Amino acid sequence: MSTTVTSPPRSADGTPLRAHPPRDDRIAFLMLAPVLILLSIFVIVPTIYAIYLSFFNWSFYQDSEFVGLRNFTNALTDPEFRAAIRRGVLFVLMTLPIQLLLSFLIASFVTGVGKRLGTALKISVYIPTIISAVITSITFALIYEYSGGLLNAVVGLVGIEDQAWIGDVRLALPAIAVPAIWMGLGLMTLIMIAAMLDVPESFYEAAELEGANWWQRTLYITIPQMKNVLLYLLITGFVAAIQQYELPLVMTGGGPLDSTTLPNLFIFNHFRGDTYQGYSIAAALLLFLVLGAISALIFRVLSSEKLVD
Amino acid sequence: MTLTHEPSGSTAVTSPPVVRRRRALTPTRVLAGMVRVAVAVLIIGAALFPLAWMAIAGFKSKQEVVRTPFQFFPEVWRLENYRTILDDPAFVRTLAITGLGAVLFTLLSLTVNSFAAYAFARLDFHFKRALWVVVISTMFIPGMTILLTSFIVVTKLHMLDTLAVLILPGAAAAVHVFFIRQFYLNIPRSLEEAAMIDGCGKFEIFVKLFVPLSKPPFVVVGITSFLVFWNAYVWPVMTITSPDLYQVQQYLATFRSERSSELAMLMAGSTLAAAPVIVLFLIFQRQIIANIKMAGLK
Repeated sequence: MSTTVTSPPRSADGTPLRAHPPRDDRIAFLMLAPVLILLSIFVIVPTIYAIYLSFFNWSFYQDSEFVGLRNFTNALTDPEFRAAIRRGVLFVLMTLPIQLLLSFLIASFVTGVGKRLGTALKISVYIPTIISAVITSITFALIYEYSGGLLNAVVGLVGIEDQAWIGDVRLALPAIAVPAIWMGLGLMTLIMIAAMLDVPESFYEAAELEGANWWQRTLYITIPQMKNVLLYLLITGFVAAIQQYELPLVMTGGGPLDSTTLPNLFIFNHFRGDTYQGYSIAAALLLFLVLGAISALIFRVLSSEKLVD
Repeated sequence: MTLTHEPSGSTAVTSPPVVRRRRALTPTRVLAGMVRVAVAVLIIGAALFPLAWMAIAGFKSKQEVVRTPFQFFPEVWRLENYRTILDDPAFVRTLAITGLGAVLFTLLSLTVNSFAAYAFARLDFHFKRALWVVVISTMFIPGMTILLTSFIVVTKLHMLDTLAVLILPGAAAAVHVFFIRQFYLNIPRSLEEAAMIDGCGKFEIFVKLFVPLSKPPFVVVGITSFLVFWNAYVWPVMTITSPDLYQVQQYLATFRSERSSELAMLMAGSTLAAAPVIVLFLIFQRQIIANIKMAGLK
């Protein structure tokens, strides 16, 4: 976008200047007003306010004190916050690879069956996605119940003794990973199905003529053709999983011994427990910097080919 | 969320290609067919079992639900838990108030987001690109980052313990603006040009031409909004203390911690609270499934 004499003059937002001002200003701003006002009050102002407060030791009840970057250094050096981040990464490793693999397998299966069965499968795998985290937590907590719970009855059949699934430091995080996988699988599967159906049929026909088996077709056609979708699911799946906090909030409250305190739950518990805020806001901002940047980047990369007109 | 609209032939996306030749029924083919059915049953079972288990537990007695030795089905299927909780005015009120809030939230979300989507798709105004960037940027701000400061804002606006604090903050959503705008960009301009010759204004064109064509994106945005509201837990817990306005997830979580011996009844209540969204999804499943694609990608 040069400013040489030869190029047509452009306004600040990059659109060519017209002889007359844009015609629709009045109606456009009237129609945009509700969204702009709501976003300003409930998203933009809170964001700016959060950035501002992160430099203060702030409390609902007392005067705040400017502390510069101390909240950020405190968060970065806090062993508990670091442990929560590590736990978050561990949680991602427990959920995301399994979700990607399962949804890929289910999607391959669904695209190979008849239409009716395919629809039944798609509806079924999507239903867990619409169930709330609270109801999911309540239901899985019932399954994990120590005495008289379903899971202990099942493992009892193969001679394993009763376990306190969500009460045991070693088992609690995996026990929360299971409902997280269950809830997140539907959306991933349906996105993969759509992507698989977009692969031109002729590719497979050619492969079939060459005598390629399912494994070869998957490895040399399906996966390379789906690489953008897989990348997208990997990144959005990572961002979603590391932010999970409602399941541990309801099922364990973060315990036992912080073993299920995922990063967002760590921050949330500080919001609720601390008199002085600032620290938790700084921690939340740090998370935002990383995750927001990741999602914005992926959105830009993947959309650069197609959307924004 | 990751929904984007496929302009035409979106049903083709859902239906797997049915190019199958009839072949003779050999034992291997019969076996393959049986394996296929078995795998399908396994997938459907794994997806739906926890919900079935929740509903079954609702039919058990207080003792049966956690009895040792373990008991899969109730000895007698009793409706008692379902009946008792439906007789509890607090539970019925929470369903009603959450439902009312969800409907208002959905209508508001459809209105404001489609207005903005139309403006960005079709109108010509100052600062269009800059405003677009601002709106889209809000999509990347995680809820946790602004949870506390949003709470401070609504406290200062004296919105605590009102229906407004549940409805207003989430109504405008960049994802929805983005999604509806993508759909509008694919509507042929020739349609409006005819209307413009007839002397219709820009707003009239939106109401008379775009809204009637908007069923596909409105179904997706509408259902998503309804679900977001119905399933919300943390925000209601932070902003609602009056039992009159208790939201359904908040009610269930409170029930769980305060009446831990009534597990069977909690399961009945959870089943009843999950039922409306499942029914809603089943009604609109075709449109929803057809529209699930990766944002902005083909």
